[in-house]
Amino acid sequence: MLEGFVHPAFAGLAALAAVPLIIHLLNRQRHKPVRWAAMRFVLAAYRKTRRRVQIENLLLLLLRMAAVALLAFAIARPFAAGDGALGKLTEARRDLVLILDGSASTGYSTGVETVFERIVGRATELVEELEGGNTNRAYVILAGSQPRLLSWPSPAKASSVLATLQTPLDEGLDLGAALGEVRRLAEEEAAGTARSSLEVHLLTDMQRGAFLLDVSAPTGEAADPAGPPAATDTSPADATPNTGTAAGLYEQLTALEAMGIVVQVEDLGPEAQNPPNLGITDLALVGDPGGGVPLEVAVTVANRGTAPIAGVRVGLSIDGNRQPSQRVDIEPRTNAVALFRLPGGLRGAHSLTADLEGDALAADDRRSSVVVLPDPVRLLLVNGAPNDRFESDAVAFLELALAAPEFGAAGDGGTAAGASGNQLEKGPFDVEVAMPSALASGEIEFADYDVIWLADVAPLTAAVIESLTERIAAGGSLILSMGDHVGNAGKEGRGLFRADGTGLLPAELGRKVSTASQDDYFLVDAFDETHPALAFYGDESLRRLLTQVPILQFLLARPVPGARVLATLDDDGSSPLLIERPFGAGRTILWTTTINPDWTYFAGLGKTFVPFVIELVRYAGRAEATDRDYAPGATPRIELTEFPRSPELVRPDETRRALDGDPESTAAGTWNLPPLDPSDTRRAGLYAIDLESGAAEPFAVQLDAEEGDLARIGPTELDNLHEALEPARPSQTGDRDQPSSQGEIWRWLAILCLAALVAESLFGAWLGSKRRVVR
Amino acid sequence: MNAPPGVIDPAILDRLSGLSLVARRVVEGYLAGHHTSPHRGSSVEFRQHRAYAPGDELRSIDWKVFARSDRLVVKEYVEETHLSLNLLLDASESMSYGSQTRGDGSVRTKFEYARWCAAALAHLAISQRDTAGLVVFDQAERAKVPPANGAPQEAAIFQALANAEPSGPTNVGSVLEWLASRLAHRGITAVFSDFFDDLPTIRRGLERLVHGGHEPILFQIVDPTELTFDFDSLLKLEGLEDSGTHKVDPKAIAEAYREEIEAHNAGLAKAASGLSLDYLVIRTTDPLDAVLASYLAQRTARARGGSR
Repeated sequence: MLEGFVHPAFAGLAALAAVPLIIHLLNRQRHKPVRWAAMRFVLAAYRKTRRRVQIENLLLLLLRMAAVALLAFAIARPFAAGDGALGKLTEARRDLVLILDGSASTGYSTGVETVFERIVGRATELVEELEGGNTNRAYVILAGSQPRLLSWPSPAKASSVLATLQTPLDEGLDLGAALGEVRRLAEEEAAGTARSSLEVHLLTDMQRGAFLLDVSAPTGEAADPAGPPAATDTSPADATPNTGTAAGLYEQLTALEAMGIVVQVEDLGPEAQNPPNLGITDLALVGDPGGGVPLEVAVTVANRGTAPIAGVRVGLSIDGNRQPSQRVDIEPRTNAVALFRLPGGLRGAHSLTADLEGDALAADDRRSSVVVLPDPVRLLLVNGAPNDRFESDAVAFLELALAAPEFGAAGDGGTAAGASGNQLEKGPFDVEVAMPSALASGEIEFADYDVIWLADVAPLTAAVIESLTERIAAGGSLILSMGDHVGNAGKEGRGLFRADGTGLLPAELGRKVSTASQDDYFLVDAFDETHPALAFYGDESLRRLLTQVPILQFLLARPVPGARVLATLDDDGSSPLLIERPFGAGRTILWTTTINPDWTYFAGLGKTFVPFVIELVRYAGRAEATDRDYAPGATPRIELTEFPRSPELVRPDETRRALDGDPESTAAGTWNLPPLDPSDTRRAGLYAIDLESGAAEPFAVQLDAEEGDLARIGPTELDNLHEALEPARPSQTGDRDQPSSQGEIWRWLAILCLAALVAESLFGAWLGSKRRVVR
Repeated sequence: MNAPPGVIDPAILDRLSGLSLVARRVVEGYLAGHHTSPHRGSSVEFRQHRAYAPGDELRSIDWKVFARSDRLVVKEYVEETHLSLNLLLDASESMSYGSQTRGDGSVRTKFEYARWCAAALAHLAISQRDTAGLVVFDQAERAKVPPANGAPQEAAIFQALANAEPSGPTNVGSVLEWLASRLAHRGITAVFSDFFDDLPTIRRGLERLVHGGHEPILFQIVDPTELTFDFDSLLKLEGLEDSGTHKVDPKAIAEAYREEIEAHNAGLAKAASGLSLDYLVIRTTDPLDAVLASYLAQRTARARGGSR
C-alpha cells in the first residue's frame, strides 16, 4: 500500500473532507419554519422519496468529500512500493543526483580530453537516460570548495546546463560539503520518511586527498597558509579551498547511508595511480623586508609523479618583468626550490608570477602572489638629554644603530642609485632627531612619523601631550626610554601618566633603582620570546645576548591595566624592563632604563643593542611584509592609500568590472573598498583594482597547492572507506540494477479527484433539474 | 399578479372593506352583462305545445290553435321556481394558510378568499330574489344562517361570514354527510373548502348531498404554493390542524408532492364528475370576478342548452 508522502503535511488536509459534511449538518439546522396546510401530501411525498433522497444526498456528500480528500492526497504526493498492491498505479521515477567533481585537478589532460570533459560527458549520458520519463528528475551539483546546485529537476534542463560546462573550477573538492547538499536533497525528497530513493553518482578523478582527509582536523577549520593580511578582511567560509574534514565527510556519508543512499563513485580519472605532474606549490619571500638586506623569492616546485625530473625550467615575473629562468632537478614525490633575487629597495605592493613549462595539469603550472613590502619606518628621536660626548648621548647611539647599512656590490649598487623611485635612500628607517623644544614650538608634526621615541624627555607641555596622544591613538607608536631627566624629575615630570589609565604611559613610574656599585648589576630575568620585538633573542644561541646585559639603574614601574610586561629584571621584585600597551590604534612601549653607560652596558654590546633597537622600532613601525594572496571565492577588502575614484576590478583574463559601493576611510588615513563578491575571485591568477588616477592595487588568487597532487584512491581503499561509497566504472553502471523505485500515484489521485468533481457536478446538475421548482 | 383588463385583481379586493362591497364589486359586472337571464322571478315562460290528452285541464287548451287548425293542443309552461343557494364554508385551520402577502404584511388566506366567494354568490342570489343560506363548519356546523331572501338575509350572511375565523381540524366528507340530512331547502349547495381530506369520505358526503336532492358545487380554494410546493430553502413545516412538524428539503420532495396533490385533485374531480357536479379549483391569486363570471356563464349556457 502507501509507503509515505512526499509532502506529508499536506496529507493532513484530507481532514478537510469533513467540510462538506459539516456544511451539510449546519444546513440541516437552518430550516425555515412554515405553517403548512397540505401536510398529508408532504408526508406522503416524503415517505415515497425518503429512501431515494437519502441515497442521492449521501452520494452527493460522498462525492464532495472524496473530491476534497483526493485533492489533498494528490497534493501530498503519496508513493507506493512498485511491488505493492498499488504498484501498477505507480509511476516509476528516477531521481538522479550527479555530483560533478569540478576541482582544479580534473583539468588534467589525458590526451584528447581533460578529466573534466570526461566527467561532463558521462553526466550527459546519465541524464539522457532519464529524458524519456516524464517524472524523472535530475540534479546536477558542481562540487568545488562548495557545492553548486546547477540544475533541477528537469533532465532536459540538466542537459542544457551540462553543455555549458567547459572548464573545472580553480578550487579543491570538499566532498563532505557536496554530500551535505545531497543529504539536503535526500531529506527533502524523503519528506520525513527517513528513506530516500535518490540515485547518487559521484563522477570524479578519484583524487586521493578529497577522500582521505586528515582525521585530526577539527570540523570547519580551514588551513589557509596564504592567509590574508591583517589589514584586509575575507570570508573564510567562502575562501578556504578543500575545507572538508574527515569528520564532516563521514558524518554526511553515515547520514546518507541511514537514508538508504549509496553513492556510486565513478572513476573518470587518468589510468595511473600517481599521474605525473609538476606543480608550483609555493611562492614566498625569503629574508627580512625590514632588515635592510636584499630579499629573495622562493618558488617551490613539487614533483607529484613517481619518476625524477631533471632540468625543470622555472620562471618568475616581478611586476610583469620576466626574470632569468632557473632550472631545478626534482626527485619523485619531493619539492625543489628555485630562488630569485628581488630587486633591492622595493616597497609597496608587487606582483610575482612563477610558471613552469606546461604539463598535463595546467592549473598548477602557474602561481601568482602579491607581496606588500613595507615603507621605511619614519622615526622621530626626541633627544631629552643631548650630550657632546657621544658615549653619553643615547640618541646618538640610536641613530647609529638605525642607520642604513651599506648594501653590497652584488646588490643594486650600494644605495640603489639608478633604480626605480621605490629605492631606499636611507635603509629601512627614515630617522629624524629633534629637541624637546621643537615639540613645544610646534615645529614638529607628529603625524609625519610612524614612531616617536622620547629618549629621557621630561617634562612635556600639555599641548604636546595632547598632540602626541592624538597621533598614538590614530596608529602611531611611542617608545619611551629613561634617563636622568626623567628619573630625577619626580611625578610632575611624568605627565604622560594618568591614574585613570587615559595617559600614554603603560605604567606608573616609581623611584629610580640603582645598584650599590659598578660591579653590581641587574640582568634580564625573563622575556617574551614570542613577541616580535624580542623574538630575535628567542633562539637559544642568541638568548644570552639579552639576558647577560648588565643593567645598573632603572625606574620602578607599575603597569596599568591592559599593559603587557615583555621583559623583567632579576631584582627581588622582578621589576619590568619592557612594558607594552595598546593605545587606540597605536601602542606605547616603555623601556624602564636607557642606553646611557651610567644606566646600562647596552651601548657597549653592539650585538645586543643593534638588533634590540632595530626589532623594537620595526615592531613599533609595523615594518612587516604582508601579502595579498587569497583563495578562490574569497571576498577581500582591498586597502588603498588614495581615495578610490571609479575603481575597477581587473580579472586575470583582463575582463573588468566597475566596483560599486562606498569606500570606508580608516584611522590610518587609508581607504577600504567594499568586500568583493565571491564570484569575482573564482579564478586563480593576478587581479588588480584599477583607479581613475592610474594607480593599480594588485592582489592574487591562488589555487590550493594540494590540487596538484593527483594521487588517486584505489577501489579497495574506497570500498573500505565507508559503506555509503561504492566504486563503479562507467561501463558497469549501465548494467546495475536500478534501486527499487517508489512510484508516486498522485496523478491517479488527481484524476480520481477530477472524476469525483465531474461526477458531483453532473449528479448535482441532474438532481437540480429533477428537483427544479415548477412555478 | 396583474389581472387582465376587465377583471378584478384579488389585490383590489384586499383593499375593499366589508364583504358587501366585495360581493357587489364581484357580481355587478356579471349582472350588467346578463339582461337576458332566464331567471325572471315569478314571470311565466311558454315552453311548447302538445296534443291534448284526456285528463288535461281544459283551461290549458290553446283555443286559438283549435280555431285555426281544429286540433286540440295544450300549452305547456316552464315551471316557475325560486333558487335556493346553500353556502357551505370550510372554516377549519387548514384554510388559514396563505402565501400571498399584502402591502401591510398581512397574508391573504384561503379562508379569506373563500369568504369573498361565498359573499359574492350570496349577493348574486339575493339580488336575483333567490334564497341564500350559509353554513360555516369545521368538524361540525359552527354557524348557520337559514336560507331566505331579501336584504336583511344578505346582511345576516355577511355578518356570519365576517364573524367566522378558521380554526380546528376538519372532516369535509363527514360534515357534508351530516349536513345532507339537515339542509331543509334543497337547491344548489356551494361548498368552499380546500378539500384536503380523505377522498372516499368526501365522495360519501357528496353522494349523500346529491341523494338528498342537493346540487353541490365544489369550490376548491387553494394557495398556488400548495399546488407547486415552490420553496427554495429547507423547511420546517408546522402542520395546521394538529398534523405535526416535519423538516423537509422541498426540492427533494417537490415532484412527489405535486404528484400527490395532483392525484388527490384528480380523484376529487373524478368524484365530482361521477356525480355530475361542478368542480372548480380556484387559486387565491385568481381574479375572483372573472372566475365566477366564467363559471356562471358556462352554467347558464348549460341551462339553456338543456343539458349539463
